Amino acid sequence: MMPMANFPPPDGSTEPHEPRDEAGRPPSGVEQSDLELVRRVQKGERGAFDLLVLRYQHKVIKLVARLLRDPAEAEDVAQEAFVKAYRALGSFRGDSAFYTWLYRIAVNTARNTMASRHRRPLDYEADLSESEQSVVESRMRHGDTPEAVALTDEIHRTVNDAIGALPEDLRTAILLREVEGLSYEEIAEAMDCPVGTVRSRIFRAREAIDRNLKPLLD
Amino acid sequence: MRRGLAAAALSLVALAAPQAHAGARNATEWLERMTEALATLSYDGLFTHTAGQQSETMRIVHRFEDGRSMERLVSLDGSGREIVRTAEEVHFYMPDRRVVLVEQRNDEGSLLRALPAPDSKLDELYTLDVRKGSKLLGRDVKVVDILPRDVYRYGYRLWLDEETAMPLRSEVVNGEGKAVEVMHFTRLEIRDRIAARELEPAVDATGYQWVRAGKRSEPSSANVGWRPRKVPPGFKLVATRVQVLPGVPMPVQHLIFSDGFASVSVFIEPGPSKGPSPPESTTVGSANAFSTQIRGYVVTAIGEVPAATVRDFATSVAPVEELAVPAKPAPERPDR
Amino acid sequence: MTDQIREQMSALIDGQLPRDEVGLLVRRMARDAELKRAFGNYVLAGESLRAPGSVLASPGFAARVSAAIGEDDGVEVVAPTVPARATARWRRPLAATAVAASAALAAVLLVQPDGGEPQQFAERSGAPVTLPVVSLPVGGSSPTPGENQRLAGYMVVHGQYATPIGRRTVWTNALATDPGITRVSPESAEAP
Repeated sequence: MMPMANFPPPDGSTEPHEPRDEAGRPPSGVEQSDLELVRRVQKGERGAFDLLVLRYQHKVIKLVARLLRDPAEAEDVAQEAFVKAYRALGSFRGDSAFYTWLYRIAVNTARNTMASRHRRPLDYEADLSESEQSVVESRMRHGDTPEAVALTDEIHRTVNDAIGALPEDLRTAILLREVEGLSYEEIAEAMDCPVGTVRSRIFRAREAIDRNLKPLLD
Repeated sequence: MRRGLAAAALSLVALAAPQAHAGARNATEWLERMTEALATLSYDGLFTHTAGQQSETMRIVHRFEDGRSMERLVSLDGSGREIVRTAEEVHFYMPDRRVVLVEQRNDEGSLLRALPAPDSKLDELYTLDVRKGSKLLGRDVKVVDILPRDVYRYGYRLWLDEETAMPLRSEVVNGEGKAVEVMHFTRLEIRDRIAARELEPAVDATGYQWVRAGKRSEPSSANVGWRPRKVPPGFKLVATRVQVLPGVPMPVQHLIFSDGFASVSVFIEPGPSKGPSPPESTTVGSANAFSTQIRGYVVTAIGEVPAATVRDFATSVAPVEELAVPAKPAPERPDR
Repeated sequence: MTDQIREQMSALIDGQLPRDEVGLLVRRMARDAELKRAFGNYVLAGESLRAPGSVLASPGFAARVSAAIGEDDGVEVVAPTVPARATARWRRPLAATAVAASAALAAVLLVQPDGGEPQQFAERSGAPVTLPVVSLPVGGSSPTPGENQRLAGYMVVHGQYATPIGRRTVWTNALATDPGITRVSPESAEAP
């Protein structure tokens, strides 16, 4: 099991850290915008749900791929999870963050899929394999074709290259946002510029990456 | 009042609250006394620090007054570098580069502090023992052993002055009992008071560049997409983060493992565009590092553990989706 | 105009778009496949940055989900809708600046290859500070300067989160003239 707890320094000293308790923590900007989208779906705007799918598709597929013995089905099962979430959205009350709720649906969907095929969930100890060969094979099964796997690799490389080619202020802004998880306000303080500039820099960084990805994914 | 002293002798002044000889009975208590002594006594000493082939002589001045400590560590071997810890900050003087680096202080009592507070679980991984030792620097000493129960970690041996619990000598030892790092006082004075000028740097920093580093960033539970397939016994993942390093355009993923005493960091960064390079073992002081390439990423494990342990960590790293089930919803990085 | 919309999409991803602008944006995106595509790529960029090399959704996935739902009648609201929450005034203390503490120390400690660019990084108050270039003579058993750089940086970062002995290693190395990074022969590394 891999706990991902907030870090207690081994020497027992206490460092200030934000509370992790969902009930105690106020909603973040992303959580609030998710709730806003959910509200719109509940009012009948289907388009809002498409945005939620776009936002969480990679996370859900990654999660499901880990749970399934045969990762080739990951996208099918993930799709089923999203459809279930859409149908159940009417009863979502916002007690938890939308993604937490979606996560549970995805886990249940994956477990049900395995149960319906009389399969045990993946057992960590039993399925350890040292050989590179079997590792490559499992990735291929997920993508279904060598082309799909190669595409994923190329996407990552393209993003990597695009980031490397960015002017430093754009690169720093997007890394602080996406990798360090800082808010616009915190980034503004770090980079000593107005919040509006932060928003613009992050946008321009994303645009540059999009320009590089477009020919690849069309 | 300050007594005269011989070059290799330990000098003590009657302390305001003298420690009882028979105070701490077992190893843990001795370690706690040692940590407290390093933080709360005032002292001025010379020590030699040896790790691998390197040996440095340094001077340490530590003042504890009104509940706060200040400290100065000076290299005596020619670099002229110094570290001064004031109430709020740490100033790192580098005369060879004409730079002073300023960081915020995060309190550890003393830069010499080597060990975390022992916890009850430590007993599973280490045996602790304390016994009387032969005299060191003319003083009665207790020898505290923290010896690993297996080959995955290093051991520690400390010679503590019986009266004050100051570590006159400390060693990090490997599986063969050989010291991989030694810290040894050649002179130590414990005083009632340390004059303020003893804490001033000897470096004249006129014309130097003053560089202020930002605050240390909190480890966020970033979604690091890699894990070791096999973690050596006793080590647990305590944090994951993603780090932006200068000169590296992409963020580096960072996993931190600890057995409560020693820790190992595993770094994963996108590899160089040229061909694969062979795996490499290096030592950094008493720490060991092992680098290898996995799927075009450079994986490096580094920690104060034997070379084989960091090698085990680094070579077993794989993308997370090839491993098993996640335990529960990972608390996502705090999005805003 | 299009740029403005795309910038709004970017802000929405970060949860930084004002509530009253969300509705219009959603409707615009519903009509425009190109906007949805760009939005998808913005999201993908973040995923790739956080977990390079990881599994990604194939390009047609979101469209397939939409098609699967399209057979549905729409959401039935069986409970009161999500109540709007006031924005919290709570603010997390600043966690990092553009150059983290460890990175600054690493930059200062780093060995520059001969003739390399001087390290530059921003001082808190504004103008970048340029450090003079210093090179370390490379001994027979020392890793190349580039490797030294990487390891010194890692060591510093490790030291920040490591147990106190790890931190001590960092400071004593920092004080030394020679960082004491030595390549070990593969045979000795094999020892159990």
